[in-house]
Amino acid sequence: MADVMNVGVNLEAFSQAINAIQALRSSVTRVFDSLKDGMKNKETLEGREKVFITEFQDNLQSVNRDLNELERLSTLVGRPSESHPLHNSGLLSLDPVQDKTPLYSQLLQAYKWSNKLQYHAGLASSLLNQQSLKRSANQMGTSAKRRPKVQPSTLALPTQYVDDVISRIGRMFPDMSIELFRPNGTSAVLLVTLGKVLKAIVVMRSLFIDRTIVRGYHENVYSEDGKVKHIITLHVQVTDHATTALLHYQLPQMPDVVVRSFMTWLRSYIKLFQTPCQRCGKYLQEGLPPTWRDFRTLEAFHDTCRQ
Amino acid sequence: MVCVCVCVCVCVSVCQVPVAEGKSVQQTVDMLHKKLEQLGAVKQGNFWVDCETYQATGNATGQPTKLLYVMHNSETPLSSMALFEGGPGLTADANFDVLMVKLKSHFQNAKGHKVESRGTRYRYCDFLVKIGTVAMSSSARGISVEVEYCACVIPGDCWNLMKEFMQSFLGSSTPELPAVFTSKAEGLYAPVDCMDTMSQYLELFGKVRKQQVLAGSGVR
Repeated sequence: MADVMNVGVNLEAFSQAINAIQALRSSVTRVFDSLKDGMKNKETLEGREKVFITEFQDNLQSVNRDLNELERLSTLVGRPSESHPLHNSGLLSLDPVQDKTPLYSQLLQAYKWSNKLQYHAGLASSLLNQQSLKRSANQMGTSAKRRPKVQPSTLALPTQYVDDVISRIGRMFPDMSIELFRPNGTSAVLLVTLGKVLKAIVVMRSLFIDRTIVRGYHENVYSEDGKVKHIITLHVQVTDHATTALLHYQLPQMPDVVVRSFMTWLRSYIKLFQTPCQRCGKYLQEGLPPTWRDFRTLEAFHDTCRQ
Repeated sequence: MVCVCVCVCVCVSVCQVPVAEGKSVQQTVDMLHKKLEQLGAVKQGNFWVDCETYQATGNATGQPTKLLYVMHNSETPLSSMALFEGGPGLTADANFDVLMVKLKSHFQNAKGHKVESRGTRYRYCDFLVKIGTVAMSSSARGISVEVEYCACVIPGDCWNLMKEFMQSFLGSSTPELPAVFTSKAEGLYAPVDCMDTMSQYLELFGKVRKQQVLAGSGVR
């Protein structure tokens, strides 16, 4: 844990600099003390003045010396590494009570573990993709050239790339508009407006969809508390289905394909109120229209009819 | 002083249900309540809608007097809606009534023509159903049923859905698509306006007033 924060910091110069600060403090105190004490008792006035002035000069020069020494040492000390591996979380290491709340060390362990896990998972998936588990005769992607590249980390994609992908997907569907916001940091929050039917707020982590909330077309989604006057059961159910969908569409190596599939699925809700259920043929079941959309065929079913 | 109230408008259909054969208005209303409760709807308080008629004075002779209707709705208790039949309408705050009193010289209140509908409010999933007794001069004249679908703002989208719901408890009295939506310039797929609900009530009250004329056999 100590090596993370102290990379680039010269410990020796650091302790010397602290000593130099103490020396500087004491020499400045000496200056003010001598001024406060005033002239010492000597025989003649000249003698007193002379002694006072020489003492004053000595003190000031020692202050000057100490200050120069401090400046010299401060250039040697160096800076802690600029790129905090954990950005603001790295400041947790400054907590003096490490025994009771070992948050920082636990956080580092958790990140190291998850990075290792991701790396191993990437290797495993590339290996498994080589050996096709399908029983059909057509083998896909077995040659070394067509093996998918293991991307180093799809979790830390540049924001410009994410913007481009989202705007490309937004242009694919004319009746669906996607607005991108970045209210807190680098995670994108999309506001998807589907025709005049509904609005969906999609929270992303780089290109992975983290969470979605579905609201009505007429509801105000911009206000801070986001409270609604009546909770509309329909939207609660569609939110549940959307969460199921984002868990269903998973492909760690190609997150843009995942986002495109999710948006295609979401777009099937454009005729939410006009489509009867494919199984029972009715519009309403327990007061709700068919809210389930099959993940492959995008057919509409009531929640109770889909089994 | 005339301020616009912010109201969320959703698809509403207002229709009149005929009184059942051999039963009184109250009994028919109770039957409807029972049907709704059987479906699983939950009672959620009361509602009222009222309408006052004002006659415009000082018109040129030969022209029919224009009637201004000022309506109130318990869903928006702080607003008043003023509309001409088939014409423009406006939404204002509750002080509009006081303004009308001050405009006595231009608009005369036809006091005997006040119509109101009062009743209970039921909620079933995302539907709000309001069954009210329409009364004029404190005598019950008919039954109004208002069905509101809170999830959708485009009438063209959800009309079939609403019709299916209404059929489940109104049976054969299910209305057709209200004329206020079909007669809009932008068509069925424009978002609803607050005025649409009030126009539908106005139409219903107009029918009820005419019925009263018939019942009185020409004596007004």
